[in-house]
Amino acid sequence: MLEGKPGRLIEALPEPEALYLPLRSRRFEFSELCVEDGRRVNGGGVLARDPNNYAVPLLAPRAGLVRLDAAKGHIVLEDISKTEFAYSEQGELPHIVRQMGEAGIKRHKLLELGAWQYFSDAFGGALPDPLGRPQAVIVSTISLEPFVARGDVQLQERLLDFTRGLEHLQSLLEYQPIYLVMPDISSDFALQVRRQIRGYARAELIEIPLKYPYDNPNILARHLRLKRDGGPVWFVRTEGALAVDRALTLSKPCLSRIVSVAGSAVELPVHINVMTGYPIKDIRTRCIPAGVVRIINGGVLTGRAIDTETLGLDTECTGLTVLAEHTERELFGFARPGWDRSCYAACFLSSLRKDFRERFTTAMRGEDRACVSCNFCEEVCPAGIMPHLLHKYLYRDLLEETEQARIDLCIECGLCSFVCPSKIDLTNQFIEAKAMLEQEKEEIRREKLKAEELQRQQEARGRSAKEKEY
Amino acid sequence: MKFLLDIFKTVRPTFGQGGRLSTFKCIFDAMENVFFAPPKVTATCPHVRDPLDIKRFMSMVIIALLPCLATSFYFFGWRLVAMIMVSYIAGGAVEVIFAIVRKEDINEGFLVTGMLFPLILPPALPLWMVAVGVVFGVFVGKELFGGTGRNIFNPAIVGRCFLALGYPAAMSGSWTTAGTGLSGRMLQYVTSSNVDAVSTATPLVLAKQGQFVGLWQMFLGNISGSMGETSAVAIILGGVFLLATRVANWRTVVSILGSSALLAAVLHYSQPERFAPPVWYLCAGGLMFGAFYMATDPVTSPTTKAAKWVYGIIIGAVTMLIRNFTGYVEGVTFAILLGNIIAPILDEIVIKVRLRSLSNEG
Repeated sequence: MLEGKPGRLIEALPEPEALYLPLRSRRFEFSELCVEDGRRVNGGGVLARDPNNYAVPLLAPRAGLVRLDAAKGHIVLEDISKTEFAYSEQGELPHIVRQMGEAGIKRHKLLELGAWQYFSDAFGGALPDPLGRPQAVIVSTISLEPFVARGDVQLQERLLDFTRGLEHLQSLLEYQPIYLVMPDISSDFALQVRRQIRGYARAELIEIPLKYPYDNPNILARHLRLKRDGGPVWFVRTEGALAVDRALTLSKPCLSRIVSVAGSAVELPVHINVMTGYPIKDIRTRCIPAGVVRIINGGVLTGRAIDTETLGLDTECTGLTVLAEHTERELFGFARPGWDRSCYAACFLSSLRKDFRERFTTAMRGEDRACVSCNFCEEVCPAGIMPHLLHKYLYRDLLEETEQARIDLCIECGLCSFVCPSKIDLTNQFIEAKAMLEQEKEEIRREKLKAEELQRQQEARGRSAKEKEY
Repeated sequence: MKFLLDIFKTVRPTFGQGGRLSTFKCIFDAMENVFFAPPKVTATCPHVRDPLDIKRFMSMVIIALLPCLATSFYFFGWRLVAMIMVSYIAGGAVEVIFAIVRKEDINEGFLVTGMLFPLILPPALPLWMVAVGVVFGVFVGKELFGGTGRNIFNPAIVGRCFLALGYPAAMSGSWTTAGTGLSGRMLQYVTSSNVDAVSTATPLVLAKQGQFVGLWQMFLGNISGSMGETSAVAIILGGVFLLATRVANWRTVVSILGSSALLAAVLHYSQPERFAPPVWYLCAGGLMFGAFYMATDPVTSPTTKAAKWVYGIIIGAVTMLIRNFTGYVEGVTFAILLGNIIAPILDEIVIKVRLRSLSNEG
């Protein structure tokens, strides 16, 4: 049990004075601006697009006046008002629709109405091609990372919307299966879902243990024995299915989302219903007590700390985790009985306690040491790889060996870093190594292309020389 | 406790960069971090960490040794305290010198080595030999390899091995009988000259001559032997604690004790008059102590699970073979040393197999 888990309550926040829409989020970089400074936009209007991710749009959550230079890295919407926006299908539809017909229009709508950004590829985590053909779709109602918005909260009184979203998803597919991931497939709730989708969507219900990180798309795909070579696997969580329903049933853009504000430093952890760009300052004054805290975009294990330059919620935020920055120094910290700290290895007296609430801070809780091969990291690794081995390879700069040891299976869940008694930053080492490997591969690919190009040129030159001879 | 913090704060510049005593920064850091948990915070994800650190990890071994320390204090008296002090001072000096030279932190792993080492020595061994042994063990067994985490041999075992080969007479002739009665030897200071019963044979020596000490006596520890090894009940108490806290891995312990018991059973039931029953062998000598405290050292034992099983079986089997079929009386030291040697190879094999199955994943 952790202190600061949000309850089922959803709080609606008041309309802010201005919205600060970050141009960057975890996956997206909205570098292609579609509006000019000083113009008014309608709610749902496209502010910018990400050219590298199938032109995913950044939608204006409200009507308002655009300011491009007011804050660095943000589009600011001032003087906002809540005029509804209706999607018009009359506009010029790109060629894709002609090619794909009915399903093409639907997919185009998903992209343009901001529902597509909730999808990810289960293997790589990137945004899948909206026109591509997946080998399967995984819909998860579970978010297990501590402190992010949970599926059961988002689903409250919206079960009908959810199942309708599943039906829409089905209509995009041909024969590919939809897997619906649930905590308990024999519960009343699951029965209800089963009854409602019967006949409309062929969804297979999958049960997983409620233990982080079994909800990870990669782990789920491997659990379902899907192979990377078989093509992309679309992964979408509850809010994504709800967004699909909203886009395809009502033809309305998804402008607000349910986000958690939780963590040990929050007095009253809640879920809030907000739109992208909601000022963090306002959330701070409303929900977060004053003091030295770290605000994290995402969960406590994989989230990223929000720096002072970020002014609003980005489009991918699922929760704000607030932790107290650790400052005090405990006397004989390592020798304390530890009734209040739960530990993987049962080295604290708290193991004798049944249930208690642990209060997390950002403390490292120890000094850096060399790896002692305790094997805890391998025991907790959900991907079945050997973090200690990878660490030793990386320590010796053996990048190729890490590739053979399947560093690519790492899902960056952060559990190995969490349990490591030597406080080695395993997760980040792996993230860096993966990036390096990716870069190396990219270079090889480019060189190959260059060589081929050169060869072709030479051949062409040779041919033209021969022709000249004739 | 603010005044303590203030003291550290005022003293810190002396040890800091450019300070007069900056060479000894590691000593200051170690002192400070023992008193006050370091103020370090996480930089990136994951933003929270498990409360267990190496200090705590190593303290668990010390706590687990408390029953052994208590019984050995009862049976062999103040000599124990003297030996621990010598071991800590001599071995600690090596550790500190290396930390200074390498400009690294002083490692907590030494606290365990320094405590384990006296417990596997005969009670009446001259103190200078304790010092020589621990210095050799820490220097050759650990520091030459790069310190805790990078060594392949258990330093305490290396130290004992060195003494056993270098000073065989002292190592096999410094046994004393265990104290009895209400006070045991708790009011005595045993040396090689003042105890009448020096060079009492240990149960394993007697067993070579065909005499078997009573099982109950061996279980309680009222026998001659190395300081911490005599009392099986104390070792089991501490050992179970180590297993429960997951500091020691149960696979290693089970496979060592299981394989040696199995081999002993085969020997006993084929020649009952020559070999004692399996339980007797488990309680004799350093087998149980080695299985719980020495072989389970995470650094020098294999990392992977399968390799741990094989490692344990080899140690258990080799121990029994040395005890019963060679000129040596006790074989745990050599068996664990042998286990340490092959541990990386075992790991390599298991990892190869695992990587092959991993290559078909996802």
